[in-house]
Parts: sequence; structure tokens; C-alpha cells
Amino acid sequence: MKGNYGIKSLLLILIIGLLTYMSIAGLSIPGTEIDVKKVSENIRFGIDIRGGVRAVLTAPSDVHPTDEQMEAAKQVVENRLDYQKVYDRTVLLEKTNKRIIVEIPWRQDEKDFDPRKAVNELGMTAQLTFREVDASKVDENGNYLPLDDKIILKGDDVVKAAPEADPSTGKVYVSLKLSSEGAKKFEEATGRLVGQPIAIFMDEQLISAPNVREKISGDSAVIDIGISDTNLATQEATELANTINAGALPFKLEAIQIESISPILGKSALNVILMAGLVACILVGLFMLLYYRLPGIIADIALLFQIVTQVLVISGVGMSLTLAGIAGIILTIGMGVDANVIIYERIKEEIKSGKTIRAAIDVGFERAFTAIFDGNITTLITAVVLYMLGSGSIQSFAFTLGLGVLLNFITAIVISRTFLRAVSGFKITKNRWLYGVRGGNSNV
Amino acid sequence: MFDFYGNRKYFFAFSGLILVACIIALIVHQGLNLDIQFAGGTIIEFQMKDANIDLNKASEVAKAATGKNVSAQTSYSLNADNNNERIDLLVLNISSSLSDEEHEKVMAAIKENFAVREDAEITTRHVDPAMGKELAAKSILAVIIAAILMVIYVWIRFKIMGGLLAGLASVIALLHDVMVMIALYAITDLPVNDSFVAAVLTIVGYSINDTIVIFDRIRENSTLLRKEPLATITNKSISQSISRTINTALTTIMCVLVVYIFAAYNNIESIKNFALPMLVGLVSGTYSTIFIASPVWVMMKERQAKRQAASKPAKA
Repeated sequence: MKGNYGIKSLLLILIIGLLTYMSIAGLSIPGTEIDVKKVSENIRFGIDIRGGVRAVLTAPSDVHPTDEQMEAAKQVVENRLDYQKVYDRTVLLEKTNKRIIVEIPWRQDEKDFDPRKAVNELGMTAQLTFREVDASKVDENGNYLPLDDKIILKGDDVVKAAPEADPSTGKVYVSLKLSSEGAKKFEEATGRLVGQPIAIFMDEQLISAPNVREKISGDSAVIDIGISDTNLATQEATELANTINAGALPFKLEAIQIESISPILGKSALNVILMAGLVACILVGLFMLLYYRLPGIIADIALLFQIVTQVLVISGVGMSLTLAGIAGIILTIGMGVDANVIIYERIKEEIKSGKTIRAAIDVGFERAFTAIFDGNITTLITAVVLYMLGSGSIQSFAFTLGLGVLLNFITAIVISRTFLRAVSGFKITKNRWLYGVRGGNSNV
Repeated sequence: MFDFYGNRKYFFAFSGLILVACIIALIVHQGLNLDIQFAGGTIIEFQMKDANIDLNKASEVAKAATGKNVSAQTSYSLNADNNNERIDLLVLNISSSLSDEEHEKVMAAIKENFAVREDAEITTRHVDPAMGKELAAKSILAVIIAAILMVIYVWIRFKIMGGLLAGLASVIALLHDVMVMIALYAITDLPVNDSFVAAVLTIVGYSINDTIVIFDRIRENSTLLRKEPLATITNKSISQSISRTINTALTTIMCVLVVYIFAAYNNIESIKNFALPMLVGLVSGTYSTIFIASPVWVMMKERQAKRQAASKPAKA
């Protein structure tokens, strides 16, 4: 009777155990690709928890930038953050709204940090320059320093930069188109500096320093990337082209939304909501256990699977988890047992109507399926709408909600079913009390 | 068996009462109180050395620095890093956006006149009014799109219940829940922000989910008990699924309630703003599932049957 389901159940318990272990301690098998970091280390929290700045930048209302210009503007922001050594950041470009969203975590060492000023600096009009360099004037990393009296070209001398590839050799380069005045200056300089580098600076930061091969006349020039890997070279060329284009950007970026959150308050909020999650979990678990008894235990195991998988996925895809996102997880803990509740109520009804436990379980699952399916699809639709139209914090909520609903469906249909069938094979589990039905043994 | 359909006028009256209260509150408060997220503006939160803050003085000082209307409030938070030490906060709420200069001035003025904690980070939120308007429009759009998708889905899946009618009935229940949540905000004058919108959309999903489980039962019973009148089938279906409706509501409400209590105790606004409307929405969603959606469906279905019966002899 129970054979097949027994083995499957054992397998499922093993899987759930493994997943739980993975989320708590991580899993890394040497010599294989498997390297799952433990959730507590790997999970990325949102700015509302870590503390930091979230800003929405856009062009002034009288400027209508093209998509390319927005790409270039984004590159400016990225470059400036690189320069400040802020690597743990998010910079997103919303092309439809012509907006750049920047999230920067709070820096520990900064005491007098003014988020507003920092954001304004990020959005300043970019100053691109091509300069002569002095090999003796370098910083500690050996990078050329910008010399104010050696400027060859400025941002507005460059009309356009684009990444291109030689159709015959496949070599990737950045092509430059210069203004007529820029071309004159460039011709003079390249004639003088053959064999020497010309450095490209964004503000004070060195971007690239290609060597001059020959005197360049006319309004177009080429910068070789010098990387043989095509993908890498294309990426590099695109970034360089964006940076150069950004130097020709006629507008600055304005912050239409700035949010800065203190890390102390964020951390306190995290502690509180994690505590709330734990208490909620225990309460729901106890409720299921006391009300549904034997199937309740199974629902609790399924719930464990749901939470652990949810957390692993969120940590795995690197989505930043906000307070609202955690609230979403807690909400799906409550809603998550719904599918089980529908099934168990149905099973109880079928037992009361005189069916054997075994038959009641089969019929219960079958009849509950459409309700669970339709119910979950509608919640999923809401989650998708929220994700598409929401921003930041709300997207995180939508993601955890949607994920929770999907997992809930899988756990109810696969895990609960397998376990229940397996345990219902034992004689001792024929007792109706175990299923929360009053009175006597079932008519086996 | 309780006659859910027969007693519908009491339930409708109860919901009608909430609607009236909602409308009165909206008139009295001149619409909803929009958070700066939607209305635009600036909020600055200073961590203070103690709770001894003269709010009148604070708003005067800020007003002098910016030339704009400023309302000052106190709040607090607990520091999890330091034995839950209480941190007192001074919150300035400025209705319009500040220029950089004005922003610097107000920061300096407050630091000069009040005991602001040194080395404490200051929390600021600044939203451009145009951005706020767009966000508000998008939020309303999200609710409408979700509602339309629900009607279409129920229409397709519940053909046997008259498809469109079932869809409409479930959306009426859903609008009912949104109305109750708006009523909460209209009456308490709490600021409406994107957490509220997220809560509304969650309840949209929850309410439909809840309604669908009962509709699923009606769908099943309609084929089993073909001879019975609609009202009886519906009453039976509600009774059969009521323990599920209540248990699911119970576990979900339990979770959100725990979150709310924890957030309220520790005074975490962002979570409170999220949990409270959700809590009210969950209660309303459960109520509307049992007492609104199905009775409305029966009424619409019977009216349709009457109309069809009336039009048939005319054709013949």
C-alpha cells in the first residue's frame, strides 16, 4: 500500500533537510560548481534596512534626452561611483521614464555625510577631457594625473562616440566623430605626440590612455580596445563610448526623489520584523498542528520547505530584500497554509461522509485542486501587476509574494500529498481523531 | 444552516454604513491625507539627544530658515545595536520641495538651536511633486488593471456560474474591501503612501482568492444539485467552505497582526503603515467573501433569469 509513497516521502524529507541546512550553513562541494553561500551572508538587504541613499535622477524638465544620452548619463554616474570606490551599489536605468535610480549603502567611515550633496554631485554635468600626460606625474596606482594646462579636447569637441567592430577582422574599437574645431586641435596634438599616450579623463578620473599611432587628420578617429576576447572588448568599448558621449551631454541630472535612511534605524527595523516573522511562523505552525493534527504536522513540514526555498531563491538571485519584502514573506506564511487548509477541510468532509481515510485523501486532493489553482492564479496576477507597476520596495514585496504563492502551490500539491498518502498506509494512522474529525475509527 | 442569502439586507446595510462614514470623512478631511510620496515635499528626521523638544520653536526655526510651511512632530525609535536604547526623533514635514540652499539652511538652523545627537545620520526624504503625481496615477492604474484581469479570469473559469456575472460579483466584493481600506484612511486621516497601495493590491489578490474558493464550491454544487434554487446552493456552499474561509483568514490575520504588534511596539512607521491597512483589508476581505460576493451573485443571476423569462414569451 504505502511502498512507493514511503520512499518518495523519505526522499522529500531528505531534500527539505538539505535545503534547510543549505540556507543555514551554506553548501560548498570542492571540485564541483556547487557553491551555495549561507543565506545570512549572501542575502542583499535593501537600502531601508542597510541604511543609505536612494535617489531618482532625471534630466531637467525642459530637456528631452534620447535613450543613448540616458545610457551615457548612467555611465557617468557609474564612473563617479567607481571613483568614490562605492562598488556595492545599484544603478538602474528606466528607459521609458528617462530616469536613473541610484542606491548607495551608507559608508561606515563617513561621519558627516550629506546625502543630498552626494546625489547632486553624482548628477553634475560631466567634464570630459582629452589631455597630454606627464609620465612622472602619476598617483599611487600608477595612473596619470589630470594636468590642467595640458587639455587637448573637451567634451563638446566630441560629436559622437560609438562602439564598432571591424567587419573583416572582428576587432572591436571605439570610433570618434569630432567637431571641426576639435578635429583641428586633435590633428595638431596627435602630430606632436606620435608614440605617446593621450589620456581621457572624466572629471578627475582617468578613463583610458591610448597611445597615438600616427597623426590623425579629419573629423574621425579610432581608439583600439586591445582586448582579444570579443565579448569583453565589446563591453569595454560600449562603456568607453558611453563615457565619452556623457562628456558631451548638455544637461545635468536632477534628483526628483531622495531618500536617506539611517542604518541604526534600518537595523532595528530588521530585528523587529525578523522577530515578528519567527513568532508568526510558530503561531501558524502551532495552529495547524492543534487544529489538523496529523496532516497539520505535514503542513508544517511543507511550510518549512516553502520558507527555506523562498529565502534561498531570494538570496540566490541577488534581489535586494526590503522590509516590505520580508512582510511579503510573512504574509505568504499565513496565506501559504491556505492550500493545505482547503485540502484538509475537504478531506475531513469526505471522512465525515463515510469514506475511508485513503479514499477521503484521494478525493479531497482532487476536489480541492480547482479551488487552489484558481485562487493562487489570481494572487499571482496581483503580484505580477505589482511587480510591473511598483517601484523599489514594492517590487521586493511583489517578488516575495509571487514566489510564496508559487511555492505554496507546489508544496500543497506535491509534498503534502505524498506525505499524507505515505502515512495513511499505516494502520495506526487510520484513527479519525488524527485528522481532526470527531469520534471513532474510520470504516477502513 | 444559516441563511446567508436571506439576511443579505443586514450585511449590505452594514457595508453601506461604512461607505457613508467613508464619504463623510472624506468630505470633512477634504480628501485623503497624501504622504509626501504622492503629494511631493520633504521630510527630515533628526536624531535628538533627549525627548525635550519644543515643537513650536522647531517649526518656527525651520520656517524662518526656509520661508516655507513646516510642521514639526516628535517620534522615537529603538536602537537594536544598543540594548534597545530609545532614540528620540524630531520630524520636520515640509509641504513643498526645498532647494539645496534652503535644505542646508534648515539643517544648520536645527543643529544650532537644538540638541541633535552628534555623529547621528539624518534621515531625509524628498519627493518632487510631479514624481508624486505620477506615482499616484500609476498606483491607481495598478489597482484598476488588477481588477480587470480578475474579472476576465473569473469570467473564463466560472462559465457555469454565468461567467461575467461571477466576475462582476467578485469584483464588487473586491471594491468593497478597497472601500473599507480607504474608509480607514479617510477616518483616521493617516497619510496614504505606496505601502498603502501595496496593501490594497494584496487584499485585491486575497479577496478574490477567498471568493473563488466559495465560487468553486458553488460551481461544483451547481452540477450536483441542479434542482435546488440558487439561494439554497449558495447557502450550502458558503456553509461547506466556511471553516476553510475562517481558518485561512485566521492564520493570515495572525501573521499580519504579529507584524503589526511588533512594529507598533518598536514604533517602526514603514511597517506599521503596511500592516495596519492589510489587517483591516483581511478582515474586510473575509467578510465580503462570505456576506457580499455570493449574495450579490445570486441577486444578479436571479434578475438575469427573470429578464430572460420575461423576454421569452415576447419573442414567441
